[in-house]
Amino acid sequence: MLTLGALAFAAPWILLALVGVPVLWWLLRVTPPSPKLVQFPAIRLLFRLQEKEDTPARTPWWLLLLRVLIVLLIIFGVAHPLMNPEEGFKEKGPLVIVIDNGWSAAPNWQTRQNSVSELLDTASREDRKVILMATARRAPAQQISASKLMRAADARAVFQAMTPQPWPENYKETARSLDELAKRTSDGNVVWLSDGLLHQDTETLMASLQKVGRAMALIDAAGDLPVLLHPARLAGTHLAIALERAKVGRPKQYELQMMDENGRVIGRRTVSFKASDRKIDTVLSLPAELRNRLAQVSVDRHQGVGATLLLDERLRRRPVGVVSAAALTGSHRLLSDLFYIERALSPFSEVRKGPIDQLLQRPLSVIFLPDWAPLTRQERERLARWVKGGGLLVRFAGPALARNSDDLVPVRLRSGDRSFGGAMTWAQPLGLADFDADSPFAGLSAPSDVSVRRQVLTEPGIELARKTWARLRDGTPLVTADKRGKGMIVLFHTTANPDWSNLPLSGIFVEMLQRTVALGRGVAEGGARQTMLLPYRILDGFGKLVEAPEWVRPIETVNFSKTVVRPANPPGLYGDSASRRSLNLSSTVRKLEPLDALPTGITRLGYKKAKEIDLRPWLLMAALALFLLDLLISFLMRGLLSQRTAARTTVLVALLALPGAVLLASGVAPVQAQILEEDAIRATRETVFAYVKTGNSGADRVSRRGLIGLGIVLASRTSVEPGPPRAVDVNTDELAFYPLLYWPVIDGQTPPTKQGNSRLQAFLRNGGMIVFDIRLPEGFRSNALKNLVAGLKMPAFQETPSNHVLTRAYYLLQRFPGRRTGEPVWVARQDQTANDGVSPIIIGSNDWASAWAVDLSGRPMFPAPPGGEYQRELAYRVGINIVMYALTGNYKSDQVHIPTIIRRLGQ
Amino acid sequence: MSELASRFRIRRDAETSSSRLPPLLVAAQRVAATVEQGVHGRRRVGLGETFWQFRQYEPGDSLRSIDWRQSAKTDHIYIRETEWAAVQSVWLWRDASASMRWRSGKKIPAKRDRADLMALALASLLTRGGEQIGMLGLDERASSGSVALDRMAFSLLGNGPEQQSPNLPRFESLPRHCHLVLFGDFLTPLEEIDHRLRQFASNQISGYIVQVLDPAETSLPFDGRTRFEGLEDEGRILIKRVENVREEYVARMARQRAGLQEIARSIGWSLVSHMTDQPPEQALLALFVRIAAEV
Repeated sequence: MLTLGALAFAAPWILLALVGVPVLWWLLRVTPPSPKLVQFPAIRLLFRLQEKEDTPARTPWWLLLLRVLIVLLIIFGVAHPLMNPEEGFKEKGPLVIVIDNGWSAAPNWQTRQNSVSELLDTASREDRKVILMATARRAPAQQISASKLMRAADARAVFQAMTPQPWPENYKETARSLDELAKRTSDGNVVWLSDGLLHQDTETLMASLQKVGRAMALIDAAGDLPVLLHPARLAGTHLAIALERAKVGRPKQYELQMMDENGRVIGRRTVSFKASDRKIDTVLSLPAELRNRLAQVSVDRHQGVGATLLLDERLRRRPVGVVSAAALTGSHRLLSDLFYIERALSPFSEVRKGPIDQLLQRPLSVIFLPDWAPLTRQERERLARWVKGGGLLVRFAGPALARNSDDLVPVRLRSGDRSFGGAMTWAQPLGLADFDADSPFAGLSAPSDVSVRRQVLTEPGIELARKTWARLRDGTPLVTADKRGKGMIVLFHTTANPDWSNLPLSGIFVEMLQRTVALGRGVAEGGARQTMLLPYRILDGFGKLVEAPEWVRPIETVNFSKTVVRPANPPGLYGDSASRRSLNLSSTVRKLEPLDALPTGITRLGYKKAKEIDLRPWLLMAALALFLLDLLISFLMRGLLSQRTAARTTVLVALLALPGAVLLASGVAPVQAQILEEDAIRATRETVFAYVKTGNSGADRVSRRGLIGLGIVLASRTSVEPGPPRAVDVNTDELAFYPLLYWPVIDGQTPPTKQGNSRLQAFLRNGGMIVFDIRLPEGFRSNALKNLVAGLKMPAFQETPSNHVLTRAYYLLQRFPGRRTGEPVWVARQDQTANDGVSPIIIGSNDWASAWAVDLSGRPMFPAPPGGEYQRELAYRVGINIVMYALTGNYKSDQVHIPTIIRRLGQ
Repeated sequence: MSELASRFRIRRDAETSSSRLPPLLVAAQRVAATVEQGVHGRRRVGLGETFWQFRQYEPGDSLRSIDWRQSAKTDHIYIRETEWAAVQSVWLWRDASASMRWRSGKKIPAKRDRADLMALALASLLTRGGEQIGMLGLDERASSGSVALDRMAFSLLGNGPEQQSPNLPRFESLPRHCHLVLFGDFLTPLEEIDHRLRQFASNQISGYIVQVLDPAETSLPFDGRTRFEGLEDEGRILIKRVENVREEYVARMARQRAGLQEIARSIGWSLVSHMTDQPPEQALLALFVRIAAEV
């Protein structure tokens, strides 16, 4: 191989033929062009004519140039030139590939796959044996060790099975097994696919690498290095999060995605690194309602555990207990204390209602106690104990408290209450005074329209001023609070319903309660005791939540904050639903440091380089084209073609040459041209399902990936083996090829045109089936579907009866869950439809496609809570039933066969 | 009746076998009509109709020649003798050799097509004047009328083997004092032409030569390295630069034409030259005037 910069020749000795080119030039120059051939009747007169001078006509220079060019192209083509050639290996020994497959490899796993594939290509070209080695354990029990000597093809299969792991690499162990290997092999070609980060034992590893042979390190460019999300902190009422990158230098933007438990994106935030920034703090300012649903923050388009942060309940949700006796009766709702408290709390807290005993069984940070019938002694003691342990008790005054005070109040109360503005009183109802600066309510503005008509009064005391959080305009306390042990008791001196004041009707009430609840310590660790936290879900190497494998160890509650991420304890969620704790990588990996310096023995290479391009077919093709041109010119010059024939021939030759050229180049460039007819053939050669383009690329992608996922399941379980799904535009595309049309309903879709509607109508009339899937969270309450099909003549619908064919077309199903569950599925009423009672339209709103969707490597794209993988399985079953229903219609409900089936069952 | 039927059949055959016949005939008639208008002061050519005399039957006379009407009037049997029409007949010949099937460009007709057209147009003119016409080498005897014209058109298009067609008319004994019109390119060596024409001339036939040439044959409008090929197996010649020999060629061509003129003059024939890029009427008028002056 001869290399000249980016160009190399695989067969360079052919280039010796270039010596002959000048000779060829000379020969072509002295040889006159072929004469024109003319038929001439008066030829007798031409015989024996003496020519005056004998300067033979020369081949024109441009023709000469053309021919020399053809020869040059052929010579260079045969010499097999390669653009960006793969270098061979220098050492004699095997190729040793050491792959960093810890958490930091995930973001650029694709480039690693490409690199390994290219390395293996070269190895197989040189018939070189390969040893593979990963630097992170696959499971706690699996030691890191070098593979056997393999052929490149086998190594490829082994590598395919490799995935990035969610824990850090173990360089110490890798170095040890490399040392083992060095005892047997010392002339290897070592390629280290580094993650580009400096770890604790990197030096050791690099030393060991060089013992095995000549070492090269592939290191990501600075912009491609992994990033790390640091644990979230509470900053005031908001969450703050820090994003760190390994290397400064260039400004770069990352987008944070905030997701709820269901994996739905509830917020986005862009983090912009300036050239000098390494770590940036970001405040995730979400509305309270959304903040409480926040379960996960991840960096968009950046896979891996480092870019995924799981949030647990401590940061997220403040369960609030409201003491109530029984269910509310409708007539008193607006008068009930509970109603106002619940309405005020529910936007930002999880409200639990129940008697005190029941509430205290689960951890709570705040308990609201409306004016209630006197507490029993037992209840009082339990509450007191809970408050001392760290609980926040919020009480409201009322007739009961006014009559009968107990000791669970922050201040001593006078018996009875005072009222303003009544017939027998002289004072006007009083408004709120401004809040003190040291009050938790500081900063809220007291509205003037709030008036308090009645309140309970305190005994004056020295500490009253300190304990008072809010006052009326005359200075009497309205809200008082006092610490009890680790906890606190807060008392609102008026009722939680509008009986005594209009405070509960005001917006300030909500803000006051919100501030109060924020004071709660969160779920007290001393709440329900759980000594061991069992793994619930773990993050896989790509940062997706998956079911925890059996080898994940439970963590002791007391040790949780000290737990290190390791193969036995991958990052994820631990504990049961009541006290869930998240273990994040950033609790173990505190800092990212780039690997900058390499020892002199290791050559540094980049991952991304230009792909090898074979220029041979292109050159030979060009030579062929020029040769045809030359032929044409020769014919023209000899007068064998008239001008017009020449033009016609040119077109003909071009047309003939085109398929040839395409054939020649097909190894290099994919044929872009897509002819409509080909489409039709492809759509009818196999069963193909289609989805309707929504215009939203994200939704279309989900539809596409969803149908692909369903197709994989169909192919593995049934005899239906669908081809790749097609995207159709109902307005323009032919629908007749598809048995099933999946139509996601999202916001902002434009309804089909009149023409589109008539196409759809024809499609349905001729036995087509449309599955509408309302992806919007509002489900059937949204008007999107109604708007979409306004122009379509729809049959009457019914909720799928339990004996409908759809429930037993392949699997026996009772429900039709997708990514959501619980929503009914509607089908056309059987007496309504023409096609043998088969419903041409199925309407669901469980977001099936998201549950079916798999990414390029076959992993599910979205979690499917609440049922998890079982729910996904059910979703696939629903999909299979729908497909079977679309393909076989009412076959399963065919009554004719039932006696036979029963008889067979009886045997 | 049967003759009429056969005549119709021939005409029909002529039409079906060659769709070119009607257009050629129409074109010839049109040319003829144009030329006839140009002939002023001469209304008809003075050839009487053919009755000459009756004479008594003698043994050996053909029974066909007995005039039954005259014989029935008297006791004798009379023979109807006609004037010997051959003296006034005009014989036509055109060169059908391969070299005539040539043209230098698409807009110019082939020499043979032009020769056919002119021959037929001349024949049309002559039959209008009541003259008898015949094709040299094809017809036994000259005839007149539209039948003769049809037959001639048919035989002009006759597809005889062209390669063997001679460049010059074969000598045939024609009636004395008849007229002979020859169409052709006359590019054969002058000695041959001289020899052949003198054979005719010695038979006291007055002749007219129409030399039909393509313009390219007089000017040699080619250039560069060119290989010329004859159309009648004369062989090939490679000229390295046609420009260099053009002048000499034109001179040779001029000598050839002058030589032909000289031959014609020496045997008392007249020569008309025609280029295929010229309209045929001009040459035809000149030709017809000369023929009419002598007939």
